[in-house]
Amino acid sequence: MVVETAAAAPNTARFHGRADRMWMTLSGFRAAPIALFWVVIVALLALPVLLFLIVAFSPRLFDQGPEWFTLSAFQQAFSGSLAVGIVNSLFVGVASAVVAAVVGFAVAWLVVRTDVPFRRLWSGAMFALLLAPSYLVALGWERLLEPQGVLDTSGIHPDAVRTLFYGPFGVVFVLAIKGLPFAYLAISSALRGLGEEFEDAVRVHGGGRIAATRVVIALLAPAIWSALAIVFAESVSDFGVAATLANDAHFPVATYTLFNSVEAFPIQFPVAAAVGWVLMGLAGIALLAQGWALRSRSYRVLSGRSRPARRIHLSPGARRGAFGGLTLLLMLGLGVPVFAAVAASLIDNLGTLLGSHGLTLSNYADVLTNGDVRYALLPPLLYSAQAAAITATIAVVLGAVVARLLTRSGPHVSARLLDLLLLTAVALPGIVFAAGYIFTYNQPVLSHIGLRLYGTTALLILGYVATALPATSRVLVGTVSQVQDSLFEAGRVHGSSAMGAWLRTVLPVLARPLITAWLLCFGATLFELPVSELLLAPGHEPLSVAITHVLQGYWFSQGTAMEVISVLVALAVVSLAWGLFRLLAPHGWQRVGRVNA
Amino acid sequence: MYSAQGYDSTMTKAFTKATGIPVQLDDDSTGPLLAKVQAEENNPSWDVLWVDGDTAFAALDQQGQLLSYEPAVQLNAAGQSLVPADHSYVPVSTTVMASVIYNSAAVSAVPTRYADLLGSQYTGKVGMNDPSQSGPTFPFIAGLMNQLGGESNGVAAGERCLTALKANGLHVFPTNGDTLHALETGQIDYGMIQSSAATGELLKAAAQPSAAYVPKIVNLPVSTLLPGVIGIDKNRPTANQAEAEAFVNYVTSAAGQAVMQTGDPTGDSLFWPIVPGVTALPGLPSFPTSYQKLNPYFWGPKESEVNNWFDTNIKS
Repeated sequence: MVVETAAAAPNTARFHGRADRMWMTLSGFRAAPIALFWVVIVALLALPVLLFLIVAFSPRLFDQGPEWFTLSAFQQAFSGSLAVGIVNSLFVGVASAVVAAVVGFAVAWLVVRTDVPFRRLWSGAMFALLLAPSYLVALGWERLLEPQGVLDTSGIHPDAVRTLFYGPFGVVFVLAIKGLPFAYLAISSALRGLGEEFEDAVRVHGGGRIAATRVVIALLAPAIWSALAIVFAESVSDFGVAATLANDAHFPVATYTLFNSVEAFPIQFPVAAAVGWVLMGLAGIALLAQGWALRSRSYRVLSGRSRPARRIHLSPGARRGAFGGLTLLLMLGLGVPVFAAVAASLIDNLGTLLGSHGLTLSNYADVLTNGDVRYALLPPLLYSAQAAAITATIAVVLGAVVARLLTRSGPHVSARLLDLLLLTAVALPGIVFAAGYIFTYNQPVLSHIGLRLYGTTALLILGYVATALPATSRVLVGTVSQVQDSLFEAGRVHGSSAMGAWLRTVLPVLARPLITAWLLCFGATLFELPVSELLLAPGHEPLSVAITHVLQGYWFSQGTAMEVISVLVALAVVSLAWGLFRLLAPHGWQRVGRVNA
Repeated sequence: MYSAQGYDSTMTKAFTKATGIPVQLDDDSTGPLLAKVQAEENNPSWDVLWVDGDTAFAALDQQGQLLSYEPAVQLNAAGQSLVPADHSYVPVSTTVMASVIYNSAAVSAVPTRYADLLGSQYTGKVGMNDPSQSGPTFPFIAGLMNQLGGESNGVAAGERCLTALKANGLHVFPTNGDTLHALETGQIDYGMIQSSAATGELLKAAAQPSAAYVPKIVNLPVSTLLPGVIGIDKNRPTANQAEAEAFVNYVTSAAGQAVMQTGDPTGDSLFWPIVPGVTALPGLPSFPTSYQKLNPYFWGPKESEVNNWFDTNIKS
């Protein structure tokens, strides 16, 4: 239950320091567990990232070249169009982050705070967007816009849109769409935690609606900056768009230099690592901006006194406008890939001159009955679902601790380093991040002592956790930054044990964001490709790898049917989790973040 | 075993059944497999690597990572041309790059040599794959270069040829599948793709006849061989190497070849056998009379440079 008699929040630094110590100590994170946490972080993130980056200076260390120390990788990386690529990457990263944050904020506000119709649909759509494989997004647009594509054949000639799409605009558009779920999830969690009293306070003091909105945005700053940073890092590290759309558009981004160094054999990991340093630098810039914006302010607004906000009743015109805007967003982000999926998996030979164009479900039957092992869906789906569930559970626990460390007030070098490490892990494309894992965990010395992790499901899951942790902790940062220490202290004052107080005071207010983070992590891991490809355990094919195979074997319809079923399964898990939360969670837990109609 | 072949899981099961030797298969695309092989350099965990193309094997050979092995079988002439002098890897099948697949329902002109494609009846109608995204496409470009100017002048001559093709409206699509899609939708009428993908498309079209789309294949001189290749890791325990050799023997046996031909009948099984006594699947056109084998030790290291040039000059 929620403790209603919380003491006033101590706001001075001195009290904060003490409160932090208390929080850490009393919540069971005593010295030993905190040390264990850092050991886990080093093993999961620090070693793989650093060992990969070291290869830029010392290729010999992992037999990637003859030199123990050299700068030639940097020379090679910087001799091409990398400088242009860095500028373009910065532009793409900032633009897509701002677009995703603005749109994500608008959607979150409409869904959480207003009576816009079909609110469940829109929040469900954000999860669907997260799960929509990027290749389907790209493919959908291609099928629409290509010469002799759907629009062309129906008499609409989208030449101008095509030119626009195959350029910086298209790159930013796709990356912003991909980043939108992260922004939405981070901001909506924080928005739920922010009761209405701050807006009321502004209004009582004579402020208008705009002034109230400004206060809300200011109070949500940690969540908004968290969203900006994660979308920025995801965008600058993106490999798929860099290699396809950006490349076709002659708009080189930084990762393209990296792509060039790993596309031909022997792969030049030292050059890729040199580009990795650049990407880490870009992540560092994002963090500096975030740190500058949030410096030494307190955002602790979530206490036992937080009251549910009232839903704003939109005027009929505003309702129509909001509904139209959300529908358009859904069409752009999801309608197009859904169209591609339907086209490819349900209709025979759509968009080709081949044979008949009948509607068929045979592709779905094919992949579900395991008649042909080459496109059997169930074994990889089951395997990946289990791996994703384990990953999500570990990542949420670690993510909560990370979020707590990141939101401690005052300067903490360890927190800054942790933040840089997390964002660098995001900013490094999956394929090189996974290579870092191989460098770290395929050491001959480990084999000698019998610790053979490489090629096991255990290492694959560690890799998944490391990949998921940055986004998971960033989704939690928004809410965790709001939790007032007074909540926990009140629990202790009333005689609870440390763990008991945490479970009874902090867990209830975090329950919703924790579930959100778990589902985000589950969905993202279920479809994760690059780490799966490099770290898979032979004999156990992850879902994404299985689907890629089927698509590359020209069984396009079966591959897309596999995608569609898997996305539906993931969405079913999302609905099930929220359904259980509504059924089983205590009333007080559900009260936090709820909005009165 | 690291393998990117469509028939590999059928093959490993048949091999285990025939010999009792269990196989752990890591079946993945060529790109990720080679990334793993490279990242594992100081502690390899593969015994057998089986992918299309011999350039990666030439690079591994130069890094001293491959075991010399010569299976007892005597390959046919095309097969023998693919065997490296030091027997560091074993070719077991071949495709060619590129076959020209064209829609005979839409066009009547059939090229007989690459230079024909520069003619006005081909303007804007020809497509190929992007070498940065399609593994078999670099060997095609290198083959064109080798054909036009050999190892000494080939790069410049090939670049001139591709520039001329571009001036005549050459389209570039990411991979075999995308180029085929462009052919099916009429964006192009001629596609230069891997022979196995072209043959698979003919089979698919034959199963669903359409008056508007009747694909046919022509192999222009000189076709560049793109072999399916097996390499054995030199740095693994002797017992593993012996099992790997047994695997190569099985693949090059009549029984193994039959498994290769049935394991992926619409994809990778559409190769031309180089083991004597094995006939190609009925869907395949006759083996090109005019073919060449590229020196992977010369052309392999040029891949990055050539692909970069292609990115900058042909894709724009």
